[in-house]
Amino acid sequence: MIKPLSLELYKIFKRPRTYISFGLVTAIALVIQLAMCSGGKEFLSFGMQGITEQFAIQGNVLNGYLVAYIILQSLLIHIPLLIALVAGDSIAGEANMGTLRLVLTKPISRSRLVIIKFTASIIYSLLLIIWLAVVALFLSLFLFGKGDMINMKSDTFILLLQDDIMWRYFCAFAFASLAMTTIVSLSLLLSAFAENSIGPIMATMAIVVVLTILSNLELPLFNLIKPYLFTTHMIGWKGFFDDPVPYKAIRNSALVLSFYTLGLLLMTIIYFNKKDIKS
Amino acid sequence: MKTLKIFLLLTAIFICPNFALAKNADELFNELRQKILQVKDYVAEVNLKIDVAYMKVPLLKGKLYFKAPDLMKLERNGGISILPKKNINLTLSNLIPTGKVTVIDMGTTLYKAKSLRLIKVVPDDEKSSIVLTKIWIDEQNLLVIHAETTTYEEGSLIMDLEYNHFVNYSLPDKVKIFMDLKDYKLPQGLTMDYNDGNKKQENIKKTLKQKGTIEINYKNYVINKGISTNFFKG
Repeated sequence: MIKPLSLELYKIFKRPRTYISFGLVTAIALVIQLAMCSGGKEFLSFGMQGITEQFAIQGNVLNGYLVAYIILQSLLIHIPLLIALVAGDSIAGEANMGTLRLVLTKPISRSRLVIIKFTASIIYSLLLIIWLAVVALFLSLFLFGKGDMINMKSDTFILLLQDDIMWRYFCAFAFASLAMTTIVSLSLLLSAFAENSIGPIMATMAIVVVLTILSNLELPLFNLIKPYLFTTHMIGWKGFFDDPVPYKAIRNSALVLSFYTLGLLLMTIIYFNKKDIKS
Repeated sequence: MKTLKIFLLLTAIFICPNFALAKNADELFNELRQKILQVKDYVAEVNLKIDVAYMKVPLLKGKLYFKAPDLMKLERNGGISILPKKNINLTLSNLIPTGKVTVIDMGTTLYKAKSLRLIKVVPDDEKSSIVLTKIWIDEQNLLVIHAETTTYEEGSLIMDLEYNHFVNYSLPDKVKIFMDLKDYKLPQGLTMDYNDGNKKQENIKKTLKQKGTIEINYKNYVINKGISTNFFKG
């Protein structure tokens, strides 16, 4: 298991496109940090208008914790697309290059091959999340300093004390990793269907974008299906920045995401075992 | 005859001082204002508890700086501080109208099982943000125990005050403020809220509760030591 997995990881990290994701995450984080440095106060005063009309808020509001939250809010929609770049390519890319049949001539079952590719993609997505933590959280803390964190929901203003924040970030990153696992299994399934990598990457992007829109539209028709969409639960990491933390809802979201992950992985294994591999 | 003399003497001893002490409303208000205004500035350690339907704020501990007439700053060792932004803020000196006023005596009344003098104060200045202030006064100690202020634009503000250590300066150990608040709403498409299933319950809570409560516990006042106005900037 270790040798094929390390071989799979070697394949992933040998490709230059893998590093596009790390570069892109860094670039977006830096752009947001730069924007916050120059015009963060105006941005905040616009967002906090409803509160500052009635309350005077003083202190280092624009601190590293808040900037990291803004980066995560903007990036965690895009990260699935970056993960699809690798996971969507893992089976279809080999089919396209004609190496899939060669791989399957080795004494390794198809199910095992899918699990290895799944595990390798998860390791990649974990590294991406860790990198995100480094550039979004730790770099923001370095640039903007520590402080209490404000979290503005549509109908609630939350203030979190600075000693009570770091653990929330660790939990949020752990939850985000779980959410990304669902994306990996979706991408892998689509990759098993396709013969070239563009199709599954684009299809994953399309599914995530459409479902994210459905998850955020406040229309009665969509409210019925929202609880069943994985994109509704992918933002469960935000729950850790609520007070009190809605553990029950987060656990429910984690279960839905795990169900999707296992279901999609199982479908991939079943389909891949029956697939007629011609290249 | 002797009995009558004794009766008159006793009446003079027990009743007359009360007449002598019972000030008229104007005098009482002016004395009270003088007592409150003797505090030019103070620093106190405070615990601030904000109970507003749309705010989730933990107990804030810090140092509250005040400089008459209306400068106030809460410092929390590098943390964020939140204070109500009202023309009439958290201090009595701001609550009690300055300048020429009309004082109406409402007699004595019972408040929390305590006999207090009630006066109504109407500012003569038409530009004043205060329409009317009702003040419940502990006449003996010259302290405001309860006050209700109605403003032109910011609704009403009610204050309950408890004293212990700084009675001489009219500085409370505990203040509870009840205030009217506007609604707070941001577009959900912007905030992308995580739905934890408590939305409906919260909305019901919000419609029921439009008033906010702020409770401040003060200790270790340092009074009239001088604070620069620049300190309150930024």
